[in-house]
Amino acid sequence: MYHYEALPAAEWFRRNRELAGFHNPARALYQTVRELVENALDATETYGILPTVYVRIGVVDEQRGWVSVYAEDNGIGIPGGEIPNVLGRVFYSSKYRVRQHRGIFGLGLKMIVLYAQSTTNRPVYVRSATLKSDKIYEYAIMIDTNSNSPAVLHRQEYPNKYKWHGTAIKVCIEGNWHAAKRRIEEYLRRTAIVAPYAEIIFRGPDVSLRLGRRTTKMPPPPEEGLPHPKTVDADMLKQMVRENGSATLLELLAGNFDGVGRETARAFAAWAGLAPDARVSELSQDDLVRLAERMRQYEGWRRPRAVSLSPAGAELLELGARAILGAEAVFAVTRKPESYGGHPFIVEAAVAWGGQIPPAERPLLLRYANKIPLLYDEGVDVARKVADEFSWQNYRVRFPAPLAVIVHVCSTKIPYVSAGKEAIADIPEIEREIRLALRDAAKKLRAYLARREREAELVEKYVSLAKYVDEIAHSLAVVTGASRARLAESLHRLIERKIGMTAEELLRRA
Amino acid sequence: MDRAEVLRRLEEWGARLAKSILELEEPAMEIPARTLSNTVWDERARMLRLGPERIRRRFLDVKEARKFMQTVLMLRLIAEAIREGVYPTIRDLYYNGKHTIIYRDPWGRTHSENTWEEQDESNAVIEDIEVAVNALREEMGVSADVKGKVVGPVVIRSQGYELDASKFGETALSLPVNVDALEIVKVEASYVLVVEKDAIFQRLVRERFWSQEGAVIITAKGMPDRATRRFVRRLSEEFKLPVYVLTDGDPYGWYIYSVYKSGSIKLSYESERLATPGAKFIGLTASDIDEYKISDNYVIAATERDVKRARELLRYPWFQRPEWAREINLFLKRRKKVEIEALSTHGLKFLHDYIRDKIRRGKFID
Repeated sequence: MYHYEALPAAEWFRRNRELAGFHNPARALYQTVRELVENALDATETYGILPTVYVRIGVVDEQRGWVSVYAEDNGIGIPGGEIPNVLGRVFYSSKYRVRQHRGIFGLGLKMIVLYAQSTTNRPVYVRSATLKSDKIYEYAIMIDTNSNSPAVLHRQEYPNKYKWHGTAIKVCIEGNWHAAKRRIEEYLRRTAIVAPYAEIIFRGPDVSLRLGRRTTKMPPPPEEGLPHPKTVDADMLKQMVRENGSATLLELLAGNFDGVGRETARAFAAWAGLAPDARVSELSQDDLVRLAERMRQYEGWRRPRAVSLSPAGAELLELGARAILGAEAVFAVTRKPESYGGHPFIVEAAVAWGGQIPPAERPLLLRYANKIPLLYDEGVDVARKVADEFSWQNYRVRFPAPLAVIVHVCSTKIPYVSAGKEAIADIPEIEREIRLALRDAAKKLRAYLARREREAELVEKYVSLAKYVDEIAHSLAVVTGASRARLAESLHRLIERKIGMTAEELLRRA
Repeated sequence: MDRAEVLRRLEEWGARLAKSILELEEPAMEIPARTLSNTVWDERARMLRLGPERIRRRFLDVKEARKFMQTVLMLRLIAEAIREGVYPTIRDLYYNGKHTIIYRDPWGRTHSENTWEEQDESNAVIEDIEVAVNALREEMGVSADVKGKVVGPVVIRSQGYELDASKFGETALSLPVNVDALEIVKVEASYVLVVEKDAIFQRLVRERFWSQEGAVIITAKGMPDRATRRFVRRLSEEFKLPVYVLTDGDPYGWYIYSVYKSGSIKLSYESERLATPGAKFIGLTASDIDEYKISDNYVIAATERDVKRARELLRYPWFQRPEWAREINLFLKRRKKVEIEALSTHGLKFLHDYIRDKIRRGKFID
């Protein structure tokens, strides 16, 4: 990413529009909503705040295809002085730390500002207040693409009488609402499945959607973690050396990497044939490249820890899938943390059955990466492959079946297939975990289906006998003079004894 | 047995069922099995009899529950008819009992089902009740359509009227439901000719074949009903008349003959009353195609169903005579069948010669 620093940002944007997901007016509108919603969720749930997110899309100029997008959250806000840089300087980022985020460095936000600028030439309006702030700051900002710096068109402060906190952003872009509508709705619904603790209120030109909060339980926010030594590259080492100029190699390693203490650092140095006491500031560029290589090759590191990951958790997945998919039953599992190439990851999976899920020849697949729904490029996603190859017939599933599969991969680094970031690549470690997660969830589904089948058989048996009771009781009463009501009651009791439970019990169960 | 006694038996059977239900014992009906496996060939009497097997029709058996319901429903219909002094036909009972059961289950779904669809279903439970309470349908006052027609030198008395079956011109005397209520006043015939097909019966009547032969001609238009069989049996038993049966040359014709002679699987409990063990077969056989030089134009290829039926006949104990074994095997080999009409191969009058030939020269199968 740092290679691009020298390029004027607008130029970079022009060249990389597709990379960032702004191919065309429909995709750009979808991407804008997505970036804003993800920033809103990151600004809330990461800090233990129950998210409330409003999103509004309006038509500004139908002729020219201009639409406005407004998004507001109740998050931690952006400090007043930081607002211009956060929105107006490309590649402005904080210190290098890993933690599961939806977006990366808020880059998406700047892409929106640039996109707005290049299509409508309108600024982005921002209003924000941090927690307990006395003031609300309001800005209108554009990006000066020559100097790659924010241009503040307007700035104002208001007293924050009601201690509001959060961020509200409004942009005017070229966008195709009608073409993007279905995807945007789908995106919001799928977001609500993994974040049932969020309230998402959406209003578009001809649609409104209110995805209510289903629970106030939130998964614990991820902790900030250090990068694993297997994930370093020379750029990263350079930055670390700049910040720790006086440190020795031992100190650099033991203080800045996940799971590396003095013991491990010393063992690595011995293996790599490096002097542990050498000053890092004296290492040449070539030395740093070699050090990074050795660090990636060394097999003696401890496994990466997953403290920086935040899975949704089986309970929330089940809750969300039941509510949004209208499923009759949902079974979810969260696997134990694993890692690939030094990046910790956790796979979660849920299988949802019946209810409003339409029966289909293969499972409906809902994919997530770090709680972001992935809507495009399903065909090349590893989860699609695993779900299709899975032996569903071993789990009492016969297609067409009303089956939905949810796969959530969270990681400090999601291995996307391409820069479009819409499909997860076929990494053997991840593929294996997805398969195991599906197996665990499908086992629960199998038990559920078996129980349901047994109950359905009992119900069928009950019905096939009970339907004749009145006819028989009536006829025998006429022939013998016995009480019709008593005959019917006895027949019912005989049936209940035969199926081993009373009608009420059966009714409760099935 | 009078109807009061029949009613008493029906009520007693119903009371046993009601008692076990009220005492929460699984209700089950004991019914002699009217199946092939329970049809016993009585070699000495030369008729089919009902064997000792019984089925237990249990209400709590999902496969049997519907039949259980149908049986109880029919029990009520017959009991009500006797109490009200009416004489329904089996078709009346079918319509009387046919209605839609609408059941709303505890899950709120509605199920609807007819008590019975076809008359075969209601007929079957009537027969079950007959064997279960050991009373005949006729004794219950339940009748069926009677198809039987008679022409010939026989005089009967019905409700006080004397009817001479030789004085019906081109029409015929129709047999009543309860043949046992008839008095056979006078018979001046030399034999009884039972004809499978109505068309052949009518030809023989118009051509006055019966008067030339001094024969009583009877038809039941295909598979015989009980009344027709009972009438044939009475002529044979009470007047010692020989009985000859004329059918098509196919497995269905041969089986019809055996029903007159030995009884049927479904009604083996009635053979005692209905069978005419002395009846002789003068219908067409497989070898008759050669014997009577029947032109290929009249010979029909047997269907798969014919072949299947023929193989079944071969297994029936009452077809275990060398003549039948030979004829049926020949049929299976050639897979050819002929209708009675095929005798016109030698002119329309040839039918008469054929019948006389078979009877006079003893070319029948006994």
